[in-house]
Amino acid sequence: MSSPHVPQATPTDGAPQSDEAGRDVRVVPPRGGASHARTWSRGFLAKLVLLAVVDALGVYVAMAALAQESYGILWVMVALLVVTNWVYFSRRAVPLKYFLPGLAFLLVYQVFVVGYTGYVAFTNYGDGHNSTKAHAVDALLIQNEQRLEDSATYPLAVVEGGGGLGFAVLDGDEVRVGTADEPLADAPDAVVVDGDITEVPGYEVLSRAQVLERQTEVTALRVPYSDEADAGSVRTQDARNGYLYRSTLVYDEAADTMTDTETGTVYEPNRDGQFEAADGSTLAVGWRVPVGFDNFTTAFGDPRYSTPFFKVLVWTVVFALLSVALTFFVGLFFAVVLNDDRIRFRRVLRSFLILPYAFPAFMSYLLWRGMLNKDYGFVNTVLLGGADLNWLSDPWLAKIAILGVQVWVGFPYMFLICTGALQSIPGDLVEAAKIDGAGRLRLWRSITLPLVLVATAPLLISSFAFNFNNFNIIEMITEGNPRFPDASVPVGSTDILITMVYSVSGLDGGAAKNYGLASALSIVIFVIVATISVISFKRTRSLEEIN
Amino acid sequence: MRRSIPLVAVALGAALTLTACAGSDPEPEESAAAEETEAADGGALTVWVDETRQAAVEAAAADFEAETGADVELVLKNFDDIRADFLAQVPTGEGPDITVGAHDWLGEMTANGVVAPIELGDLAGDFADVAVEAFTYDGQVYGLPYAIENIAIIRNTALADSTPATWDEMIAKGRAAGTTYPFLVQVDEKGDPYTMYPLQTSFGAPVFAQAEDGSYTSDLALGGETGNAFATWLKAQADAGVLSTSMTYDIAVQAFADGESPYILGGPWMLEQFADLDLAIDPIPSAGGQPAQPFTGVAGFYVNAQSENQVLATDFLTNFMATEEAQIAIYEAGNRPPALTAAAETVSEDPITAGFLAVGEGALPMPSIPEMGSVWSFWGVTEAGIISGSIEPVAGWEKMVTDIQAAIDAS
Amino acid sequence: MATHTVSAPAARRGRRPADQHTAVTGRRWWSELGWRYVVAGLAIVYAGFPILYVISASFASGGTLTGSNQLFGTITGDNYAALNDTRFWSWVSNTLVIATVTALGTVLMGAAAAYAFSRFRFTGRRVGLTTLLVIQMFPQLLAFVAVFLLLLALGDVVPALGLNSRLALIMVYLGGALGVNTFLMYGFFNTVPKELDEAAKIDGATHAQVYWTIILRLVSPILAVVGLLSFISSFSDFLLAKLILQSEENWTLAVGLYQWVADRLSANWGLFAAGAVISAVPVVLLFIFLQKYIVGGLTAGSVKG
Repeated sequence: MSSPHVPQATPTDGAPQSDEAGRDVRVVPPRGGASHARTWSRGFLAKLVLLAVVDALGVYVAMAALAQESYGILWVMVALLVVTNWVYFSRRAVPLKYFLPGLAFLLVYQVFVVGYTGYVAFTNYGDGHNSTKAHAVDALLIQNEQRLEDSATYPLAVVEGGGGLGFAVLDGDEVRVGTADEPLADAPDAVVVDGDITEVPGYEVLSRAQVLERQTEVTALRVPYSDEADAGSVRTQDARNGYLYRSTLVYDEAADTMTDTETGTVYEPNRDGQFEAADGSTLAVGWRVPVGFDNFTTAFGDPRYSTPFFKVLVWTVVFALLSVALTFFVGLFFAVVLNDDRIRFRRVLRSFLILPYAFPAFMSYLLWRGMLNKDYGFVNTVLLGGADLNWLSDPWLAKIAILGVQVWVGFPYMFLICTGALQSIPGDLVEAAKIDGAGRLRLWRSITLPLVLVATAPLLISSFAFNFNNFNIIEMITEGNPRFPDASVPVGSTDILITMVYSVSGLDGGAAKNYGLASALSIVIFVIVATISVISFKRTRSLEEIN
Repeated sequence: MRRSIPLVAVALGAALTLTACAGSDPEPEESAAAEETEAADGGALTVWVDETRQAAVEAAAADFEAETGADVELVLKNFDDIRADFLAQVPTGEGPDITVGAHDWLGEMTANGVVAPIELGDLAGDFADVAVEAFTYDGQVYGLPYAIENIAIIRNTALADSTPATWDEMIAKGRAAGTTYPFLVQVDEKGDPYTMYPLQTSFGAPVFAQAEDGSYTSDLALGGETGNAFATWLKAQADAGVLSTSMTYDIAVQAFADGESPYILGGPWMLEQFADLDLAIDPIPSAGGQPAQPFTGVAGFYVNAQSENQVLATDFLTNFMATEEAQIAIYEAGNRPPALTAAAETVSEDPITAGFLAVGEGALPMPSIPEMGSVWSFWGVTEAGIISGSIEPVAGWEKMVTDIQAAIDAS
Repeated sequence: MATHTVSAPAARRGRRPADQHTAVTGRRWWSELGWRYVVAGLAIVYAGFPILYVISASFASGGTLTGSNQLFGTITGDNYAALNDTRFWSWVSNTLVIATVTALGTVLMGAAAAYAFSRFRFTGRRVGLTTLLVIQMFPQLLAFVAVFLLLLALGDVVPALGLNSRLALIMVYLGGALGVNTFLMYGFFNTVPKELDEAAKIDGATHAQVYWTIILRLVSPILAVVGLLSFISSFSDFLLAKLILQSEENWTLAVGLYQWVADRLSANWGLFAAGAVISAVPVVLLFIFLQKYIVGGLTAGSVKG
């Protein structure tokens, strides 16, 4: 390729110059003078084709959404399509032409996640409130339909007659048949072959395949054993054998209440998403309801959580800060050392240094966990010649160990960024300083470090934010241990906020699950880290402007 | 060279970027969409299994497919993930029709209404009582049990000829063997109350009190004098160098396999690693004077309460997984004694399995009441803290009991 | 035309004249260069010994990763051979496809956004930049609930975008395409002199032409860097991948390898180590191949050359 040539005589689509950057002056009228937006240049054609493809796909998705009655997706898709076409055919909104692709993905896949978590934070989603009310009612009815203790096993066949599906059961040697509305009655002319009911007059015996096609109907079918309600109903789970069941709980849809048929107790839905009787007792399965700020009140009002919270917060901040600082300085140091053109094999050396980065991080954490074992780990037995350092269960050593692993895992990234930043420091600046008599240290302190810092500041901030929520490193190396001896929830001295959320909200199986509380705490964490980041981001930008 | 990258990027990407614009499908890459289970006439089942059970379930599924024409799709999951994923996915209408699981999940599963009862009918009598009881909640059976597991003393017969009946004698005998360790038991940094439990019960401090019919009440029983005595004993054993938090599962198993100890406290899942050794299974010696009773865990299959294939799922479990053949196949895959009595009798010809079964007779079912969820983490870290020396035994144990009680009251 | 301004980023390499290479010897060699080799050597030992440990475990026969400290005590290729009996190689190809497509998409979308931030002035520009930075900080711990629901709904409409689809995973990764990467690129775009685009525009080029034919070429080093960073992060992600890719043949390396060691009762460290060693190879190769661009490519903000 020759040097980047500007296509001089190919006026094409696009907006007038003044759109590109508001402050640009319209110095020269466009050459060729034509209204280039409508010129059929290659670029314009490419755009047309691509947009056609996008539109086709978009319309396809929208149609599919319509067919599936997924109106949320339908409207989002239609909106995206309209916006896309407007953006790419309008002469306005030039910046949007460049944002839209990434923005669309961001909105669908990230903003939605944040928003949904925000919604969950205001509900009581968790154990006992795991699903919708309809599911809860179903589950309660299923759980409280009990097999009669003296019920025999009735081999059965599923049949279909004028009254819909029914069962033909083998009661002793007799075949009896019935449907949901007609209790079992004798069917003397039925044919039984080897214990299987093959023919029932007036009914069609369904084949296995037919039964499987109508599984939900079959499992929902209850055929009364006799006219007496106490005798129970036949039901089946596998369409081979039936048993007598009686339900102890009845749902009254109109009144929205559950009634216990044995005691007569009436349960009404309460505000917490459970059925509650007058005496305050509740049925086991509840459903999800909005609870307002309850989760936030629990997070800060319940001393079990609020007491360790600040201790953990301090370590979280320290951990995130030190993680960035240590990896940065180690990375920068190696970058400076190797930043000399006279060094041979520089490429090879650099490639070796990024090895830790090439390993999936979770692997490294597991590996280090083993290497840090007090009595058998590589670190104590080989590196430190048989030292007896309790890396994982001493509060201070565990913190040091975590940071040590973090440095190993994280320095190559910093090494990469710093190498880049160093390369971009203008040579003449360094030369000028040297001529002014600046020593190596001086040069480093007054020129190299500030310039590298400024260049990498946004990355350092986002690295801070990442480590603030670095769940994996803590969970895979120490799981937050050693535990605070005085805390009343299982929280330990290496726990950071996000791992604390993980354990107190029961997501690790150590307590009853509480997604609502976990979401609320996630939001709190998000607010903290976002605030810190935005402030430091603003400050570095002012620093940048001063420079 | 310098310009080749942008060239490639432009060439490859021109299409990509702009197509990506609409936020729809930019890559022409073929999708590997879930093979929606709309299979043949026989219907289709999705089953979650973990690695150790995969092969055995596959075999049963093949029979089932051959006989009924149904299609069974096995999805391999981490055993640890199944519980949370099942709870999260069932309410959305997703999730498998059947999943493997442990009986101690039952409290949570029923509280959230995600599992359907399974009517075992006459089949119930074919299973060990403890297995069916473990999957029974409020009078209904919710799982098809397939294996019963418990820990016991695994002895390297080349290093010791017997296991004494008391802890101190066993340690003395272990020391006399002249190996690196007199005895191995995993502790880990976060503790392992499951493995420690028989030692705790030998002090008469079970976790929850049991009602007369054997079911657990929600009254904590691990505190008091007996619990404190156990805590003090833990500390003493740690000081004597017998217990250590750096002894993880990996290390303990490796050391035993290398012949560094005559005894290890563990379960049948370890046996695969000890294939070269000559082993015997013995009862667990008592440390506190009373019988050392380990937990019994029962593994089984749960049926999704929202499944649209209940008939097929129940059919598969009761008629294909409850057979001697299938239960033995699972046994062979993971060494866990089968829950089906006939299968258990068959595999008892193996003295090792018989040994575990014998210890299991005195074992206590692991509580599946919802309160159990609040216990584990406190319990483990307290034991680990006492062993590592960071927690004062008696005070720490008493605080643990208070904290567990508070956690139970709060939830 | 315009070649004098093009040279700006290019001029950064080789700022020391080549003739200095030969002159340095003796003590001065030590104080200027020799110590660098020593430090580099130590750094390599530091970076490399845990990896040596994994390599040794991958050649060991059986055993556990944490239980053996004897490097290369036994050497056998069994673990590598055993990989063929697993789905390891399909995980490799899944991972490569997913990570490559994600990297391409991230580069293209991120570069476009960075160009807009760098070259256009519009309302909400600063807020937009900050928002991009901040939104990525949301703790992903609970994402599984939301992502799961989202893909469930999408999957009903377009199965290819639903659960257990590699394409869906790519889409979710691309949701993070704008973000930290945009920052990296934004900084670099700023180092490309504006006079260049202005000159081109005076000649009648449109903004699209400036972007595709001039800017993208000049910023190629940062494209390589962002591509590599994106490749590595989707390569080693396992939380989202585990959530979305449910059936074994669709797994990525990270999910598969994790599965081998996650259940401690059946942990398979030998296979894991062998798989880990092999899976590190593409990343290292990619780095070596792209190194020239990477080293020139990282710069940001006010370092304007």
